Amino acid sequence: MREKRAGDGYSLSVIMTVLVVGIVLAAFTAGFLVFVAVYNRSMRNNIITASEQAVVQVTNTVSDYTKNMRELMELIQGYYRDSPDSRNTAIDTLITTRNDTVLVTCYDEKGTLLETWSGGRGIKEQVFKNLSLNLEAVYQDGGMAISKPHVETLLADYYPWVVSIQQPVTAADGSKNLVVMDIRFSQIADYVDEVGIGQHGYCFIMDREGDLVYHPQQQLIFSGLKEERLEFLKDSPDGYLEYQDVIYTIKTMADSGWRVVGVSYVDELITRRVRNVAALLLGLLLLVLLTAICSSLVFSRMISKPVKNLIKAMGEFEGNASDFTYHPVEGSREIGALSQSFGHMVVQIQQLMEKVREEEITLRKAELRALQAQINPHFLYNTLDSIGWMCEEERTREAVEMVNALAKLFRISISKGHEIITVEKELEHARSYLKIEKFRYKEQFSYSFDVEEDCLKYYCNKITLQPIIENAIYHGLDRMVDEGEIRISVKSRENHLIFVVEDNGIGMTEEQCREILEGTCGDKTGIGIRNVNNRIKIYFGEEYGIQIYSELDEGTRVTITMPKIGEGGYEER
Amino acid sequence: MKSGKKNIMALICLGIFLLAGSAAFGGCQVQGEDSRKARVALIVKSTESAFWKSVQAGASSASTEYNLQMSFQGPDSEEDYETQNQMIQEAIEEGVEAIVFSAVDYNANSEAIQEAARKGIKIVVIDSDVNASQVSSRIGTDNFKAGFMAGEAALQADEEEIYIGIVNYDIHSANGQGREAGFRECIAGDGRVKGVETINVLSTTEDAREGTKEMLRNHPEINVIATFNEWTSLGVGWAIRDLGCKDEVWVTAFDSNAVSVGMLETGEVDNLIVQNPYAMGYLGVETAFDLISGRKKPEEWVVTETILVNRENMFQEECQKILFPFNQ
Repeated sequence: MREKRAGDGYSLSVIMTVLVVGIVLAAFTAGFLVFVAVYNRSMRNNIITASEQAVVQVTNTVSDYTKNMRELMELIQGYYRDSPDSRNTAIDTLITTRNDTVLVTCYDEKGTLLETWSGGRGIKEQVFKNLSLNLEAVYQDGGMAISKPHVETLLADYYPWVVSIQQPVTAADGSKNLVVMDIRFSQIADYVDEVGIGQHGYCFIMDREGDLVYHPQQQLIFSGLKEERLEFLKDSPDGYLEYQDVIYTIKTMADSGWRVVGVSYVDELITRRVRNVAALLLGLLLLVLLTAICSSLVFSRMISKPVKNLIKAMGEFEGNASDFTYHPVEGSREIGALSQSFGHMVVQIQQLMEKVREEEITLRKAELRALQAQINPHFLYNTLDSIGWMCEEERTREAVEMVNALAKLFRISISKGHEIITVEKELEHARSYLKIEKFRYKEQFSYSFDVEEDCLKYYCNKITLQPIIENAIYHGLDRMVDEGEIRISVKSRENHLIFVVEDNGIGMTEEQCREILEGTCGDKTGIGIRNVNNRIKIYFGEEYGIQIYSELDEGTRVTITMPKIGEGGYEER
Repeated sequence: MKSGKKNIMALICLGIFLLAGSAAFGGCQVQGEDSRKARVALIVKSTESAFWKSVQAGASSASTEYNLQMSFQGPDSEEDYETQNQMIQEAIEEGVEAIVFSAVDYNANSEAIQEAARKGIKIVVIDSDVNASQVSSRIGTDNFKAGFMAGEAALQADEEEIYIGIVNYDIHSANGQGREAGFRECIAGDGRVKGVETINVLSTTEDAREGTKEMLRNHPEINVIATFNEWTSLGVGWAIRDLGCKDEVWVTAFDSNAVSVGMLETGEVDNLIVQNPYAMGYLGVETAFDLISGRKKPEEWVVTETILVNRENMFQEECQKILFPFNQ
C-alpha cells in the first residue's frame, strides 16, 4: 500500500510549479478584474466630471456671449433713438470694431427692409432671398428671437454662416420696427474648438429643434462624413447619458434655449488602456510561468531530488539493514540536516542490531554450556553400578578400563571450559563413551571408526557425536535381536568436515526423523540431537548442522556437516 | 518546506518587480509612439481656388484627428505637371509615408507616382486620376456621372433648338475629360441639340473668360454653355457678364465659390454642379492613415457626392451646407 501511494503522487516540484502558477494566475486575474472594475468606474467618473465641467464652462461662456449680444442690442436700440446720421456712424463703428457682428438690418412691421449697416461691406443690389428676417419668430422673455444658423444672404460675394438675433424696437417717431443683428460667433467657435474632453472628446452646441448651432467638426457633418445623434439628443433631458460607448453630457441654456452637449468616448479611454494592461499582464504571466518552471527546477535540485534520493536510500536500508552503507545526499540546508540525521540513525540501528545479535549468541552459548554441564545421572550411576559390580566379581582390569574411560569422558567433556575441541579429542570422547556402553550392554553391538588422517587436526564442537551415538544405542540397537553395529566416519569435503554415524538398528520413519530435528516430540533423546544441531548452527551458521536418513528395519544414518576450522580459528567464534 | 516558502516569496517579489518594470517600460513605449508622427504629402493641382482650399481644410481636419504631419502643396498653374512631379520627388526624398495626389496630367504624372510607389510610399488619388496601377485608393467625384448631371441641367434650357458650347480645360486632365464624356453622353440623346462647339482653355479665369467671349463671338447661335471646373466656371460667368447675355445663354458650371454663387444669384450662371472637396481632402488623408497604420484595408474606389444647385434650391438647408463652407 505504502509503495503504491508513493508512486502515484505527484512530485514535489510539479506541485510547487502548479501551486506557484496557480497562485500567480489567481492573483493576477483577481488583480486585473479589480483593476478593470476600479479603473472603469474611476475613469467613467472622471469622464463624466470632466465632461460636466467642460459643458458648464461652455454654457457660461455662451451665456456671457448672449448676454453680451443682448447688451449690444440694447446699445443699438439706444442708437436707434438718435438722429439717423449719428446712428449710422455709431452702428457702423460697432460692426467694424466687433468682428463677429456681420450685419445689422432694420425692417418695418411688414418686413420691408428699411436700413442696413454692414460695416463697410457691399450689400447686394438685388436681394434674392433674405434668410435673416423671420416675421413669425417667437420672442423670448428678453424680447429677443434667435434664429437657426444660416448663410448670410444679403452681402455681396460674402456668405458666412450666421445666427440672426431679432428684436422689435420702437423708433423715435413711434413706429414699430424690427432690428436684426447677424452674428457669426467666431468667438464662441474658437472657444468651443479648444474645449477637449479626454483625448477625442469635444463639445458642441445645438438648438431646441436639433439643428447644429456650432460644432467643432461642423464641416465634416455638413459634408456627410460624420454624424451626430441630434435627433436622439434633442429629446434627451439634461444631465449625462451613455449611449454605445459614448457619454453625452447635456445642459440647456436658459436664455437662448441652446443646448450644450459634451461628447466623450468611453472605449478609447478605457478599453484601450485596459487592453494594454491585459497585454502587459499576459506577458508577465508568461514570464512568471517561465520563472516558475525555472524555480521548480532549482527547487527540484535543492529539495525534491535529494528527498527522492533519501527515500531510495531508506528503501534500501529497509531491505538490507545490516549491509547498508549510507552515502549522504546533497541539497538545501534542511535536507542536509535530514540526511545527516538519517546517516546517524543508520549507524545507530546497525550498531544496535549487531549488539542484539551478539547478546543473543552469548545468551545461547551460556544456555548451551549449562546444558552440557548437566551429566546424565542415569548414565553415571549405571556406569558406577557396572564398575561396582565388576569390582565385586574381581574383574579388576575391566573395572580399571571402565574407570579410565569414564575419566577420559569427563575430562574431554569439560575440556577446560572450551566449546571447541579437536576432531581427535572428539573422536576419543566418542570412543570412551562407546567403550563404556559396550561393557554395559555386554557386547551386544560392535563399533568401528573410519577417519581420514588429515581431519584430526581440525576443530569441532565438543560432545557432538556422543548424543547421536547414545540415540543409536538406546533407540536403534537396544531392542535388536541380532548384534548391532555402529560405524563412525569422518571425511573431508573441500572446506567441510562430514561426520557420519551409521547403525543397522530398527530405524525410524521420515516423520520421526523430522520430529527429532524440529523438536516437536517430547522425547528426551531428541533434545540431545537437537542441541547438537542448534550449537553447530549458532557457531557456524545455518548452512551447517545435522541431517538424518533412516529406513525402518534397515538402520539410520546421521550426517553432521561442519566447516573446516584450523587451530586458533575457533577462538573468534 | 521552509525553503519552498522562501522560494514562493522570492517569486512573488520578482513578479512585483517585473510588473513595475514592464509598466514603466510600457509607459515609455507609449510616450515614444507619440513623439513620431507619420508624414503625409498632399499634392494637388492648385492651392488658390476655393475648391482646393476646401480640400485642404478637410485634409487638415483628418490629419489633426489622426495625428499626422501633413504638407499641402500644388503648382501655381493647373497645367504644370512638371512642378507636380518635382513635388513628388521632394516628398520621396523627405521620406513621407504616403502621398495624397491629384494629377494635373493623367499620363505625364504617371512616372513620378510609380517611382514613389516603388519606394514603398502609399498612393491615394483624389479628384483627378493618374495612370498608375499602384494607386491604393481613388477618392473623388464620379466624373462621368457629374458630367451626365451637368448634361441634364444643360438640357433644362428653355429653348427650341439648343446650340451647346463646351468650355473645358486641359485635354490631358482625367477628370475634365471624364466630365465632358458624361456630358456628351447625356446630350447625345436629345433631338433639340443642333450643334456642339468645344474649346479647351487654360485653367484660369482670364483664359476661360477670353475663350468664352471668342467662342460666343464666333458662334452667336450658342445658347447653352457647359464648363467643368471652378476657374473656367468663373471665366464663363465673367464672359456672360461682360457680354450682358445672361438671359440669352443658359450656363451650367462646376464647383462653387463666393463669386460663382453670386453669379448663380444674379443669373450669369444658371446651374452649379457642386462637388464635395472637403470630403475628398478628409477621406484622402484618412485613407492614407489607414494604409500607413494598416488599420483597415481601404476601398479601391470612394465616390463623393455631387449635387446640382440652382437658383431655386441654393438657400435650402441641405444646399447651404454643401455650397457654403462653414469655416470661412
